[in-house]
Amino acid sequence: MVGLVGPNAAGKSTLARIACGLLRPATGSVHLRGDDAFALPRRERARRVAFLSQDEPADLPFTAREVALMGRAPHLGLWALEAPGDRALAEAALVEADALDLADRPVSQLSGGERQRVFLARAFAQDAALLVLDEPTAALDLAHQVLLVTAVRRRAQKGRGALLVLHDLALAGAACDRLVLLRAGRLLAEGGPAEVLRPDVLGEAYGTQVDVVPDPATGHPLVAPRIPR
Amino acid sequence: MRRSAAVRAAIALLALAPLFALAVGVGLSLGAGTLSLSAALRGVEPDATVLFRLRIPRVVLAAIVGAGLSVAGVALQALLRNPLADPFVFGLSGGAAIGAALSVAVTGTALGVAGVSAAGWIGLLPTQFAAVLGSLAASVLVFTLGRARGRLHPERALLVGVVFNSFASALVIALEAVLAPEKTQAVLLWLAGTLGYEPQPVLVAAGAVVLVAAAILTALAGRLNLLALGDEGAAALGVDVERTRLLSFFAASAAVGAAVALTGLVGFVGLVVPHAVRLVAGPDHRVVLPASALGGAAFLVLADAIARMLFRGLGTEPPVGAVTALLGAPLFVLLLRRRT
Repeated sequence: MVGLVGPNAAGKSTLARIACGLLRPATGSVHLRGDDAFALPRRERARRVAFLSQDEPADLPFTAREVALMGRAPHLGLWALEAPGDRALAEAALVEADALDLADRPVSQLSGGERQRVFLARAFAQDAALLVLDEPTAALDLAHQVLLVTAVRRRAQKGRGALLVLHDLALAGAACDRLVLLRAGRLLAEGGPAEVLRPDVLGEAYGTQVDVVPDPATGHPLVAPRIPR
Repeated sequence: MRRSAAVRAAIALLALAPLFALAVGVGLSLGAGTLSLSAALRGVEPDATVLFRLRIPRVVLAAIVGAGLSVAGVALQALLRNPLADPFVFGLSGGAAIGAALSVAVTGTALGVAGVSAAGWIGLLPTQFAAVLGSLAASVLVFTLGRARGRLHPERALLVGVVFNSFASALVIALEAVLAPEKTQAVLLWLAGTLGYEPQPVLVAAGAVVLVAAAILTALAGRLNLLALGDEGAAALGVDVERTRLLSFFAASAAVGAAVALTGLVGFVGLVVPHAVRLVAGPDHRVVLPASALGGAAFLVLADAIARMLFRGLGTEPPVGAVTALLGAPLFVLLLRRRT
């Protein structure tokens, strides 16, 4: 589980899209399980990497179950008809994303937090080796943030990679195994949370003073902004 | 919705089948004159001629046009992510009107004579021929202007189509002022959506176009569902968004072109049948597309039967395009109120 952090306009979302093969990099290449992402057929690429965008639509008429089933699309044939196995996988994804109780409700009637769980279920149902999430917690309250990050971590422990764009450094430090810090399109630091979340590194990246203290319970670095008052 | 899409599509089609059968029954038995079906089937004249030469081709024609306009409406609403899209939104109605009006304007000139022989060769009247040429030219124009940086931008194409349709109606009004009114009136009445009696090869060809278009769109239905997630969301699920747009745009345009050639501009069907089907069957295009084809066919067959019935009272037949709106609007409001 890798967290992509950095100030606004650092290029985090762009890098996330490049990693998914949705944007072509000006230089360099992207490899998904050993193959050039831009040489792969689109559907094969979608079987290897799933993407959860920052602005998924809010007004979908489809039910949560139907949206979860959409995650199976890259696995379906000509008429896009799901087999019972696809329906079982979508159901399991809804359970994993803690959204099974929403299954038969239209997405347009859900709250922001509920909607995000449904889209997460869609990404899970895609059954890809890599999951890329662009600011998945931006619109969520604390409990829902924990819920979402926990579900992604459970998946990561089963061997599915996850790349999360995160703004909340405390959450990033607590949830991710590795962090990648970007500034102005360049890599500034990379490593475990304790290596990246350092006052000097963050000070340089964000141009503001911060304190970092270890969480008394877990030892994870806690980042506190220093606000003059 | 715990059933699979294939099962739901089958259920929707089975539920619509009696409605379609009823519409066909009404369409065959109602008309300007009285007809005994049993006599016609026994070969008694003139009933047999009326049934086989007039009523059956007419019902087939209405079914083809209704199905074609409805699937095109579904596709364009999905493509543009706009519930107000109708089959003519890409400038097709304007193009058809210009074509039909011009066909009157050039009557008697060398171009007119050439047009008449070209149309006759295909089995169409000059007005029909000009209308379908105009609508297809308009859709190519709107499609070209709707592209920027190698991509079709739906909002842009929609805007161009709306502007082009306004431009076309202004042009037609200008032409009307110049041309002899009795000539233009007939053309404009036809343009308002009129079912006539088409030669069999024309019916077969139009039916084939609509069938192929409906099959292509149904094969694209899963991808049209994913377009609701936005271009990027669909691409992340393996959809070639640009190719899906191109294919469904051309399939829809072909279906609408076939409908325009046969009947002019029958409004309302392509806008309202998809919505009515969605209200009952949900938003899944794998169900909505085949169900709209059958529902649209039933709806137009019924509307045409009512138009012919009105002939008895009025002594003249209103354009079926007027009947679709008169019949469809209240039905739709009823359905909308019951569902929400």
